[in-house]
Amino acid sequence: MPSAGKPKRKKHKKSELDSALGQISDESIAATKEEFQDLLSQAKGDTSELIRQNAEELERRLVLLKKRKIDKEDFDFFVENQKRDLRVFIDSQPAQQQERAEKLTLRVLEIAAKVAIALI
Amino acid sequence: MNSKLVSRNVLLFAAAIFIASCGTATFTKTGSDATIESLRNFELAFIDQFAVPGKKFNAAAFNAKVNEGNAKFQQAIADEKFTARRPVLVNLKGQFDADAAHLQSKASRGKITPALATEMKNDVNKTYDHALGR
Repeated sequence: MPSAGKPKRKKHKKSELDSALGQISDESIAATKEEFQDLLSQAKGDTSELIRQNAEELERRLVLLKKRKIDKEDFDFFVENQKRDLRVFIDSQPAQQQERAEKLTLRVLEIAAKVAIALI
Repeated sequence: MNSKLVSRNVLLFAAAIFIASCGTATFTKTGSDATIESLRNFELAFIDQFAVPGKKFNAAAFNAKVNEGNAKFQQAIADEKFTARRPVLVNLKGQFDADAAHLQSKASRGKITPALATEMKNDVNKTYDHALGR
């Protein structure tokens, strides 16, 4: 029988990227950062494996950039690679799903480039 | 009676042609997949050879390898029997060109990191998997 007590709220463990984004103090990109976090979170929970994979790659590379294991040139290069690969995927989606797919892939990558500057 | 026999033979002939064409298509597709796998291995080996942190950049060896790669991709595109697969190969060539340009830029300035090499190889594997419909 399910307990009738307070509903247990699942604690969302802060990721390395969440911590890094939390350190950005530049108020001028606050809205961009918020949009980025929202879209990235949607992408990571999407039913499409390719959208999830893209979000995970992007997150990993932002963390590598923050840790200076890759530089901004490398980051931009990988973003372009991801875009090239995703265009084929988006074109193959049914028309009514293209807008969402584009938002959760290409749009996230575009905003990530702005967030990356503030991150380093 | 005769017309029944003729119809049956026509049907059998059509079925035989269909089965034979399926076999040929499968065989050709297998060959095309093998070409893509061979290009993947070439590109991974290329990254392994030149994306080495601290290694002195050898421009002559690099250019020779890029020329070898260009020839391999051009040959693969020319030999591809499935016209629908040509754009896929052209896309893979685009990835190779981008990888070569980035590697040259970074390696010639001694700015290769282990993470860069790992991530480049991740991208190559992902792109080729998608090209093969995986």
